[in-house]
Amino acid sequence: MRSTPRPHAELTATLAAALSALGLGVRRNLANWPILMGRALFYLVIMAVLSALWDKVAGQNLPGTLANVLPPGGLTLYVGATEWIMLSIAAIHLRLEDDIRFGHLEPQLLRPKPYLLQRIAEAMGDTLARLLGIAVAALVALALSGRSAPPAIAFAYVAVLGVFGGAVGVLLYTLVGLSAFWVRRVLPPYLIMQKSMFILGGLFAPISLYPDWLYQAARLTPFAANTFIAGNQMIAPSAAGFVAGLASQLVWIGIIAILIALVWRAAIAKILREGA
Amino acid sequence: MPALATYAANVAAAIRTSLMDRTNFTLQSVGMIVNDVFFLVLWYMFFAGFRKVGGWGLADVALLLGLIMCIVGVSGIFFGGYRDMAATILRGEIDALLTQPKAVLVRLLARESIATAWGDLIMGIWMLFTFAALSWSDAALVLAGLVCGTVVYIASAVAYASLAFWFSGARSFARDLTDFMLLFSSYPGSIYSGATRLIAYTLLPAGFVVLAPVTFLRAPSLETFFVLVASAAAYGSIAALMFQLGMRRYRRGEVSTG
Repeated sequence: MRSTPRPHAELTATLAAALSALGLGVRRNLANWPILMGRALFYLVIMAVLSALWDKVAGQNLPGTLANVLPPGGLTLYVGATEWIMLSIAAIHLRLEDDIRFGHLEPQLLRPKPYLLQRIAEAMGDTLARLLGIAVAALVALALSGRSAPPAIAFAYVAVLGVFGGAVGVLLYTLVGLSAFWVRRVLPPYLIMQKSMFILGGLFAPISLYPDWLYQAARLTPFAANTFIAGNQMIAPSAAGFVAGLASQLVWIGIIAILIALVWRAAIAKILREGA
Repeated sequence: MPALATYAANVAAAIRTSLMDRTNFTLQSVGMIVNDVFFLVLWYMFFAGFRKVGGWGLADVALLLGLIMCIVGVSGIFFGGYRDMAATILRGEIDALLTQPKAVLVRLLARESIATAWGDLIMGIWMLFTFAALSWSDAALVLAGLVCGTVVYIASAVAYASLAFWFSGARSFARDLTDFMLLFSSYPGSIYSGATRLIAYTLLPAGFVVLAPVTFLRAPSLETFFVLVASAAAYGSIAALMFQLGMRRYRRGEVSTG
């Protein structure tokens, strides 16, 4: 007679399968290293433009503007961290859109492993590998640029918060992908989500530079957990900020995961009711 | 002239196809408008905090964004095939066109019309005549800048796509280069110096796609007009040459497709 209850065994098997999917995502990206290098190149091009912008702003230092409250060295390091996360997030929404639109989803539903969890785990693996690849490019570029680097502990904070920020991003894109059940093309919701990430996540500038009402609103959104929290540790590293940021990211991961489960349940009900 | 008539017929068919699914068309166009509004808000907030960057203010950036949105809009609506041209070449889809007497390049460009491009065009025009503080008396100058910028943009995209005649990996690389060019075209020209400035006026010619038209619109003169026209002619010629050289290779069967 088995001593382990069956639901527990099923949960273990499901998690093991998800872990395998995550590993697959990592290995696939590392195997496709030329594409990973292309992403790193894209990161460097973006950073060339954005560092030029922020160096110009910091250099001119206009009186009566926010230039006076910028950290020493400008915002290049902050933007370096936020762009690192943003460019690493796997495009799971496109995968979901394809599966939903072209009828690849239905056969998957008959399989023993939960389709959506597998896809999310795979996308998390993709994201992890990209975070790794782009981080190498970013660190090499930082070393070659001659810019003064933040204390070593900041890199440790950003590494951890970056991974969880990437996870928040994957889950947000999953919500976008699931919208394909109702709108055929996910491009419009994707663009809205992406720009919300840009503005409320502080992709180009810390949200702490915004007017206070907007800052307070933005920090309560998942977008801040996506990029701002990690980026901020690059310019103002602190153990307290790290712990609070990590807690916020974990809360958002939980909330978005519940939201995804609800949307998925509604979508499956729609398929069973109306067909694909 | 026959090439022009073929192009007109093809692009009209492509536009009708993109309009067929009204819901999808509306969603995509409106989605792009919302996207562009967010982008404008981003810059609005930036200038609210920092006022100027290298002499560029919100009106200048609005002019730049308005122009690039119009350029991307016009390109997507009327020359939408440029987006996936490298993939088209590598899939061997030119074979079917080679059996027909009409010009290949114009048919490749006119094979698709992108629905989101309408959103860009509407937002671009709105931005030019509101935030960029242009008036309708500037319409002729805007048109000149728009035409020349579009020629450089499309020509560069065609040149990047033509790399597919030589390299099988050019499929996504060509798209990436076009996106890099767009990225360079979305920031104030004053931030570029040294290597970035060199790139912006050569390999990723944001300088000629949008910065030269902005300069022309802010200070119209024969000199700035000449820069516009000369750059359009130069990049147009380079693209035509690269495409023709690539087509020679294709006809000889030296391009691996499939």
